Amino acid sequence: MLKSITFYVNDSRVVFSGNPLTRLIDILRDELGLTGVKEGCGEGECGACSVIKDGKLVTSCILPVGACEGSHIYTIEGIRDTDKGKCLVDAFRDGGAVQCGFCIPGMVMAAYVLLSENPSPDENTIRKAISGNICRCTGYDLIVESIRLAAERGGDLWV
Amino acid sequence: MPVNCIDDKVVRVDAEAKARGEAKYASDLSFPDMLYARLIRSDIPRGTIDEISVPELPEGYYFITAKDIPENGRNELWMIAKDWRCFADGDVRYVGETIGLLAGPDRNMLDYLESRIEIRYTEREAAITIDDALAVKGGPIVGEDNVLCSLFCEKGEKMQSIMDRADSVFTETLETGFQEHVHLETNGAVITMENGKYVIYISAQCPFYVRKSVAGLLGLTPEDIIVRQTTTGGAFGGKEHFPDVLAGPLLVAESVIRKPIKLIFTREEDMLFSVKRHPSKVTYRTALDKEGNILGIDGTIYYNCGAYLSSSYVVLQRGVFHANGVYDFPATYLKGVGVATNTFPSDAFRGFGAPQTLFAIETHLDHIARKFGFDPAEYKSRYFIKKDGETVTNGHIVEDVKLPEMMKKIADASDYFRKVKEYGIGSGKGIGMSFYNHGGAFTGNGEQAIIKAHARLVKTGDRVRIEVGSTEMGQGFQTSLRKIVANALNIDMDQVDYDNPDTSLVPDSGPTAASRSTMVVGKIAENCALEMKARWNEGDFSVEKEYEHPDGHPWDQATFRGDAYLGYGWGAACVEVDVDKVTNEVKTTGIWTCHDIGHAIDELIVHGQVNGGVIQSLGYASMEKMENRKGHFRQSSMSDYVIPTSMDFPHQEWFLVDNPYQWGPQGAKGMGELVFNGADAAYVDAVERALGITVTKIPIPPEDIEEALENA
Amino acid sequence: MGVNYVPETLEEALLLRKAEKAVPLAGGTDIMVQHRRGLGLAPQPDFPVMIISGLNELRGIKKLDDGSVEIGALSTAAEIAASELVPWHVRKAASGMGAISLRNSATIGGNIGNGSPKGDLPQPLILLDAEVVLLSFDGERRMLLDEFIIGAKKTALRDDEIIKSVIIPPHEFTYSYYRKIGMRRANAISKLSLSAACTVKDGVISDFRASSGAAGPKVIRSREAESMITRKPVAELEDIVPDFLAAWDHAISPHAMPKYRRNTTARMLTEFLEAVINGAEPGIIGQEAL
Repeated sequence: MLKSITFYVNDSRVVFSGNPLTRLIDILRDELGLTGVKEGCGEGECGACSVIKDGKLVTSCILPVGACEGSHIYTIEGIRDTDKGKCLVDAFRDGGAVQCGFCIPGMVMAAYVLLSENPSPDENTIRKAISGNICRCTGYDLIVESIRLAAERGGDLWV
Repeated sequence: MPVNCIDDKVVRVDAEAKARGEAKYASDLSFPDMLYARLIRSDIPRGTIDEISVPELPEGYYFITAKDIPENGRNELWMIAKDWRCFADGDVRYVGETIGLLAGPDRNMLDYLESRIEIRYTEREAAITIDDALAVKGGPIVGEDNVLCSLFCEKGEKMQSIMDRADSVFTETLETGFQEHVHLETNGAVITMENGKYVIYISAQCPFYVRKSVAGLLGLTPEDIIVRQTTTGGAFGGKEHFPDVLAGPLLVAESVIRKPIKLIFTREEDMLFSVKRHPSKVTYRTALDKEGNILGIDGTIYYNCGAYLSSSYVVLQRGVFHANGVYDFPATYLKGVGVATNTFPSDAFRGFGAPQTLFAIETHLDHIARKFGFDPAEYKSRYFIKKDGETVTNGHIVEDVKLPEMMKKIADASDYFRKVKEYGIGSGKGIGMSFYNHGGAFTGNGEQAIIKAHARLVKTGDRVRIEVGSTEMGQGFQTSLRKIVANALNIDMDQVDYDNPDTSLVPDSGPTAASRSTMVVGKIAENCALEMKARWNEGDFSVEKEYEHPDGHPWDQATFRGDAYLGYGWGAACVEVDVDKVTNEVKTTGIWTCHDIGHAIDELIVHGQVNGGVIQSLGYASMEKMENRKGHFRQSSMSDYVIPTSMDFPHQEWFLVDNPYQWGPQGAKGMGELVFNGADAAYVDAVERALGITVTKIPIPPEDIEEALENA
Repeated sequence: MGVNYVPETLEEALLLRKAEKAVPLAGGTDIMVQHRRGLGLAPQPDFPVMIISGLNELRGIKKLDDGSVEIGALSTAAEIAASELVPWHVRKAASGMGAISLRNSATIGGNIGNGSPKGDLPQPLILLDAEVVLLSFDGERRMLLDEFIIGAKKTALRDDEIIKSVIIPPHEFTYSYYRKIGMRRANAISKLSLSAACTVKDGVISDFRASSGAAGPKVIRSREAESMITRKPVAELEDIVPDFLAAWDHAISPHAMPKYRRNTTARMLTEFLEAVINGAEPGIIGQEAL
């Protein structure tokens, strides 16, 4: 039986001993101060809390920490200063993808996973990849175009 | 790259911090010794409170109610009207009405305590719908007939004589439902004390509204309270007056507790216990001659205001003033009635009353056109209002109206007329077109008589700080206002600063609402900048100016006659659909829009506003169903109240016509609401044609299409 | 309010199950949502929970000697959608379940253990006569998924058992059909779904089956209605369709089902059967492959 959960957040080791049903988002935001992870719905529907767990996009608001043993978790804070993260942030900025911004860190995480798996996606593939990330401001067109811009600008970065 | 030319595309100033997750929203704030709060609310729609039983509270926990309002305070939130109570006292009027605020350091304990609070009521029969209200179900909520507000406007010949000589009268009733804002950031605020003053950090559109609304609770003046806007994660009207409902109880609690207190809504609370768009019911009686020409339109407009008037009279006025659409009919008689029900008070939502009547008039005209065998778009275009045309308030259109050009743009781009012929009626494919407008800024003389907006520029060295009360909520104003000021000063945008407002540091520029920020506040700031430019070499100084109303545009607020708006945004939308006849699922295959917003301050920002507004409107028409059963909203989460994803609607083609506005900064007019006002009707038109059905109520999910098919 | 555990081995999990009646949580996409309490608060079910996501014995998708496919209980919707071993109906349903992030967390064990009639996977699995393998200290037992799910949120899982895997027997269908109707085009809970399949040999329908999801307290498969079509020549099908549709409608709507769902179910079945009658190209009817 695990008495504590050990996992890695943005490459730093975290040991948590407490209720294993504790939501990962509460550890990220309240314990680790990673407030780039946003809570939009608390039920895994909106994607604002998206993080990357072992290479896969997950919603941290419904992920119990007990399911994170040995996992590597990356949040927006962990990728924003990487080459890929910068490429995405710059493209979102230049492409007009950001309005109120609340969905955007999660959207960047979704785009990061997409381009890491598919460096030159077409429009429909991009739309599918962000379909779990709800945005109420933009109508999505400029987000889609910004992700395409990041793919173009990034080039080999994503391969 | 140095940027100051108004036609250069610029990068939004707030984009990078937001994309990097560095921007601080209300829920990201934390203070030493901070307590958390929860609102304790009514769970019945109507009744008297017999007893509130609160468990013994551990030390450091508080339960705040109306009893904590001091003797010199008033239990009211001032939101245009003053009838919305901060805390229910004695009786409750809707599900979710605030009864108390529970505060303490541990959220688990708060959760436990909340589950132990018991409120006993004597319940009364509730009125939920407009029809319930008019039938005075359960006895009146206000007055004798539940009418909270009403008005009428009359233009042209008397309606009765028109009806008498008409060849036929086409009567129909069109309805719209509740709509929830679903700003991705839920409502939230933190209150604290600084140097003996109350300081409220809040996700809000209108920081000056907040302090005015809540000060009276403690018998204070607005200046005694500092409101600091936090980065606001979407608002759409949902954070225009509603933040007062958080700030009020927090202020009363702070007067007792004197520690930082944080109140953040969960999504469920934000869905169930926040304001919504007014449901509407509009009945048109249209007098026609033998050929189907319109002689006159009589319209009766009901809005469900919920339990309190708050800002609904103003919403209703805008609904009535837009109830003839973009047309110049020979005669109109439009009557608006706002009714009280036992539902959560309805309030501002992008469009502010206009979308309901614009949907109604567009759809009504489509039905008349089809009845007489005309193409709806062509039929409607016969009645386009022109410059100097008379409005329903007997005022006149001040600007050139470019609707014919706009219609041609989207008709050509969509290949509308070919597709209309090819698809016919009932083929499963359909294309529809709608036209709409939105009066910019406050109605009538509101800007001049009530708001009296101020803006200030402060020059320090070669830097200029914009001091206004206007807020960034995602619409891009921090960028466009910097651009306006930099352009007027002929300096680089990077030399201009503009922070989230703090009411103790900036003048009141009026609310960030009514599509007025660019048009009104932008103009004042531009005027400040022009003066500053002329005096640039005087060293460090500041320039502050007040709104100036153009002469010669009378308005009588008592009779609603005159120029209701000095400038309108105009829109035309075309939507194409392919309906699956097996499942009634509607696939939107094309969206084309054209807007006249004067001269665009920044095309990239405008592009984002157009896309977002259009998709919100299409969500309103198609999937956003919020039902209320016995006073309770049935949809409580983002999985049962669905809003569009990236897969629901295709890439949009959008156009602008340039039509510089004489009183706007660099020719700009308002546009934030306009872009919401019309795609819904184009969608409904397209679906109706695809299936040969008649739709009189939105939204129309597949279940409702099934019903319409059975009635066809 | 229960105590929550993270077992490290399958044996520990079985012990917790037996001794504490701990409810297994795999991806958490149901339990964490149903018992959510808001910001800063851990969900608090009134039963003990054990998080079994680390039990690798319950992972993996493999082909068995008899041609069946065994899907470990912890296989996620994303893994199922991506696996070429998994039959088309199930892959299609898995690929349309929620959003990407949900598919990365939600497991087949959780989706069937939850027993929701709106669950995406039970519907095609029941179409395919899938069996569920249940594990306890007494050993394994297998039962048809259709029998395992008793009603809305009710299953035949014993207090000491956990779901080990799902086994899908092999099928060769001439025609396959799957549709899910959600409240929007992506990231939606199922409002109604239908799978159908049929095998045609020498002009005779040797196997016909259908299953309706979100159309009652549990997934509906009416063997009685199916038997009206099975072993009939394709040439006679057209005459059978009206009676078959009436029988299916009767099966799905004992409790005043909304008209839209009944009519749409009938139209979907008609769409499928018309393709069979018209001798359509063998394969998927109605929708893109995957």
